[in-house]
Amino acid sequence: MLQGLIKKEDLKKLIASVKKEGTFYGLIRGSEGLSLSELGPDDEVTLDYSNFKMPPKRQFFPFSEVICTYEDESMTDLPLSEEKAVIFGVRPCDALSLLYLDKIFIDEKFTDPYYRSRRDNSLIISLACREPLKTCFCTSVGASPAGKKGADILAFEVKDSLLFEACSEKGTRFMENYPAIFKKPGKADIKARDEEVSAAEKRVQTIDLSGITEKLQGCFDSPLWEEISQRCLGCGVCTYTCPTCHCFGLYDEKVELKGRRIRVQDSCMFPSFTLEASGHNPRTSNEERMRQRIMHKFRYTVENFEDIFCVGCGRCISNCPVNMDIRETLAEVIK
Amino acid sequence: MANPYFPKLVTIEKITIENEARDLKTFRLAFCNRDDKKSFKYECGQFAMLSVPGAGESPIGIASSPLDEQYLEFTVKCYPTGVVTTALHNLEEGARIGVRGPYGNSFPLKELERKNVLIVGGGFAFTTLRSTIRYMLNEKSRARFENITVIYGARSPGELIYKPELKEWEERDEIEMYVTVDRGDEDWKGREGFVPAVLQEIAPSSENAIVLVCGPPIMLKFTMLPLLDLGFSPDRIITSLERRMSCGIGKCGRCNIGTMYVCKDGPVLSYKQIQELSEEIF
Ligand SMILES: Cc1cc2nc3c(=O)[nH]c(=O)nc-3n(C[C@H](O)[C@H](O)[C@H](O)COP(=O)(O)OP(=O)(O)OC[C@H]3O[C@@H](n4cnc5c(N)ncnc54)[C@H](O)[C@@H]3O)c2cc1C
Ligand code: SF4
Ligand code: SF4
Ligand code: FES
Repeated sequence: MLQGLIKKEDLKKLIASVKKEGTFYGLIRGSEGLSLSELGPDDEVTLDYSNFKMPPKRQFFPFSEVICTYEDESMTDLPLSEEKAVIFGVRPCDALSLLYLDKIFIDEKFTDPYYRSRRDNSLIISLACREPLKTCFCTSVGASPAGKKGADILAFEVKDSLLFEACSEKGTRFMENYPAIFKKPGKADIKARDEEVSAAEKRVQTIDLSGITEKLQGCFDSPLWEEISQRCLGCGVCTYTCPTCHCFGLYDEKVELKGRRIRVQDSCMFPSFTLEASGHNPRTSNEERMRQRIMHKFRYTVENFEDIFCVGCGRCISNCPVNMDIRETLAEVIK
Repeated sequence: MANPYFPKLVTIEKITIENEARDLKTFRLAFCNRDDKKSFKYECGQFAMLSVPGAGESPIGIASSPLDEQYLEFTVKCYPTGVVTTALHNLEEGARIGVRGPYGNSFPLKELERKNVLIVGGGFAFTTLRSTIRYMLNEKSRARFENITVIYGARSPGELIYKPELKEWEERDEIEMYVTVDRGDEDWKGREGFVPAVLQEIAPSSENAIVLVCGPPIMLKFTMLPLLDLGFSPDRIITSLERRMSCGIGKCGRCNIGTMYVCKDGPVLSYKQIQELSEEIF
């Protein structure tokens, strides 16, 4: 495994070098809080955060994007993005979420070309967590503060430096490209990293999810869903901010004879999501929609892909306007 | 990388108004590009996305048969509030629209070979059944199937679709037709009664037989019991599901029921598969 140490202040050099070939995305604190943004060598890279609000799926599956345009009766599909990107500062839970999205958007029969091209052209540098939030429960769902899954490089903060570890071939090649920037880490650096990692892991709260899928298989018609969903407003924030939620709709926009078809993220928490033209709606109540969201993540994806489509990032907890807590919901199911 | 969201251009060659209410039209389409025509290989029971620029896309069952090599047909009901179906109904012959597909699985025609085939249809959900009947009646394929019996019903005589074809089939020996309406009018000399009742009355044998049944949810609900009574086991009752769709290719999540996506794992399902779903379907 290739390792390299880079002084935090030298990140600027790395950014400047990457800029020659592509775009460097990192975290900037702006009016809407922290968000992944294009960075230049003069920007201050933020390392001081637990996680950021909008999950990195937005880089690959934007909130909305044009997929074709038309004029009169002819349609043109939009060229794929060729932008080479380095995405720095994603948390390990969110990096794992990308592997789940891959399972949806990239398959043998149909591959989403927009998602795929951005994935192929990006390199993910995750930043290991030091200060998990109260809402984090990654270690209960297969992720961890120093998890490597989904990352090309995993970076650790070690005093005034960052220790980079390549986790994929792509990551190794990237680091080999910049021999002048990375130094060989010493034993003390590795030790410091190990201590940070185990301290962070211990700080993550855990929940017991054993048997959750089997429990869900048996409680489709349970009165539990009614109870759980009573407080829910159906606002959909939990799904928009969830790194693994990927539902969308295709819509047309037209002015005179010119128009475009847009792909927009949608949410299973909305009644309109399943409303048919005849007026028939297979999921009319909040209760059914809440059940769908939980079943989809903790049962259906397990049966289809052997993965729980939740990485324990806690966004659905911290962003919910009525403080719904998925950990409590799951505990109710397991009870 | 092929873009699965991008439709192929087609011309509307012919529009047939199917019913008295004039909200059901059959669109005969021809591909503008030869290669597109060649690559569009479909089977009975599959659907495609019809794309009207400016309005959007709708999944519609393919009503022509794979052996109808010259054209592709879809029968579309226009909903007053429906964006795409209204836009489609406003188009005239010669207009160009988009098609992408074919999508979904199909009726298990291989399994139907050397078997008696019972077809039960209600309302305008008859479209993919019509595709199947056309396919089976084709001289190239007729010998592969035993008796074909069709029970088809609509609300009133004016609401029966594919009327010239129904008439033609009624006159043929290789198929037994039972056409019924919920309520007739003074000119109606045919059968009256709901599809499930007619089914019970005719009582077709389930021996060496498979049934394909499509219709509105309420009809499906009341047809299952008589079919079971006749001895059709749930795995030999085949139907087609409908769910709101957007992508048609298993990505957008809209048509999800349990572990299945109706657009790619369906729309054709056996009653046995439907019973195994947690959700109540009809
Ligand atoms: C597999 C399948 C086969 C179908 N075959 C036929 C057919 O042969 N003839 C026919 O008239 N209708 C068929 N339908 C129903 C048809 O798709 C809807 O009536 C149509 O999409 C309504 O579109 P709209 O834009 O007019 O309605 P709106 O209410 O404006 O709907 C907006 C969008 O929602 C989606 N949508 C709405 N209702 C449905 C629905 N019931 N099913 C799927 N998507 C929906 C469509 O993408 C539609 O464009 C079929 C549906 C499915 C799933
Ligand atoms: S964020 Fe909270 S209130 Fe909004 S839909 Fe999700 S659970 Fe319901
Ligand atoms: S369900 Fe909640 S905790 Fe799990 S990945 Fe989605 S937002 Fe994060
Ligand atoms: S229509 Fe998009 S997943 Fe089925």
